[in-house]
Amino acid sequence: MFSELVKVNGYLVQAFSICRRQVWLLARGVTAEQSNESLALGRLVDQNSYARERHQVGFGDNKFDFVQGADGELVVCEVKKSSRAERSARLQLAHYLYDLQKAGIEARGVLMFPTEKKRVEVELTDALKAELDCVYAEIESLAQRNVPPPAEHCKYCGKCAYAEYCWG
Amino acid sequence: MGKTLYLLSSGSLKRKDNTLFVERVGEKPRFLPVETTDEIMVMGELDLNKSLLEFLTQKQIILHFFNYHGYYAGTYYPREHMNSGAVILAQAAHYTDEARRHKLASTLIVGAIENMRKVVAYYQRRASLDVEDILSDLERFEAMAPQSGSVPALMGIEGNARNRYYQFFDRLVQDEAFKMVERTRRPPSNRMNALISFLNSMCYILALSQIYRTHLDPRIGFLHETNFRRFSLNLDLAEIFKPILVDRLIFSLVNRREIQEKHFEKETGGGIYLNDRGREIVLRAWETRVNETIEHPRLKRNVSYRGLMRMEAYKIQKHILDDTPYDPFVSRW
Repeated sequence: MFSELVKVNGYLVQAFSICRRQVWLLARGVTAEQSNESLALGRLVDQNSYARERHQVGFGDNKFDFVQGADGELVVCEVKKSSRAERSARLQLAHYLYDLQKAGIEARGVLMFPTEKKRVEVELTDALKAELDCVYAEIESLAQRNVPPPAEHCKYCGKCAYAEYCWG
Repeated sequence: MGKTLYLLSSGSLKRKDNTLFVERVGEKPRFLPVETTDEIMVMGELDLNKSLLEFLTQKQIILHFFNYHGYYAGTYYPREHMNSGAVILAQAAHYTDEARRHKLASTLIVGAIENMRKVVAYYQRRASLDVEDILSDLERFEAMAPQSGSVPALMGIEGNARNRYYQFFDRLVQDEAFKMVERTRRPPSNRMNALISFLNSMCYILALSQIYRTHLDPRIGFLHETNFRRFSLNLDLAEIFKPILVDRLIFSLVNRREIQEKHFEKETGGGIYLNDRGREIVLRAWETRVNETIEHPRLKRNVSYRGLMRMEAYKIQKHILDDTPYDPFVSRW
């Protein structure tokens, strides 16, 4: 039904390693409940941390939380409310670095968990790139499906902003 | 979930320092919270300007207006903020496919009648009323719905079921001042009709506000005809909840004598309406009722009836996206 290709952005990559159903919904523009407490809190953490930086820097289909740079080096920073989904956050950031690299820009990445006072460096390795290539392909085939994957309970369902949607 | 503000008295509402400011006759002016407000109900006279409407759009706050009699006048429905081309296409395609539309519409009717039966059965147990005849007729109408040939035929069944169901009102309510005799709308001919009309419109508005929080377009209903001039999906959604929310509330207000003859007024041109005091009592009770929570069996979390209404809209969205077939909410007691 849809001829348009899905725009693979950081949000989709992040969602991919958490929940396939969320990827399908996001690909159709079905966004989550905006008044969800966790979501609102996450937004506040991003807005209120590192207040001196310029937040929400657009690049292609992506939006970086913010970027830093010194001596010709670019650092992409991704702010997270907690490290609970660190693996998916790492993949999201790697995707940003990969997109930049494709445009001929080398960069480093840092995951920031201000409420935990924690930073994690992310480097774009060949393994990560190979993983991302698989993720892109899977996201595209997922988005083409006419029917969403059925809801399956996982550890993220409890606080997910789609919970009322999936389980209601 | 945000709050609902009711502005019953007259005054002015404006944007001030990135928040809302209300000034009313005989009351201290005050600031209203903007981040935690979802909707505002305007009953009195209100002065407002465009910069306020722009601000409300930005904050995704919906504004409902009522006329002097408490009749619903209209809604300031801010620009859609939840856009999904896929959902709109699916909704329209579902409407134009007659078989699929009929299926969804009949499921809505079945859900609505089932909830009417729950209400009747509840009072049969509690007040030991003789209502077997009504219950069995409702059951018959419910079975007829999926077999009906068209959506207009469905509307007919819905009308017949509701008329039969309304006969139960006079058996339950003993107070002569609140006999309905028959359902009359414009204008309501007696107190019971006035109560039903007023609260039904509150239920339609509740549904509309919740649809605004989903990707659905309120102009495309399935049971109620879509004519692209007014909202109709909210009427569909409200059918499910009217027996549980509106009717149960009316019985409790009348039987506990919280609402009485003195809370109504006769208007020139005929028609009985709630007066200011009556409207305030009813609205307070309504607000309490819709914020009551029940434990949701699948979500395993307490959900208010207001939240339940939004989840019902989600269910319709899932149905049209071929995700999960729609299964209407039915009260457990």
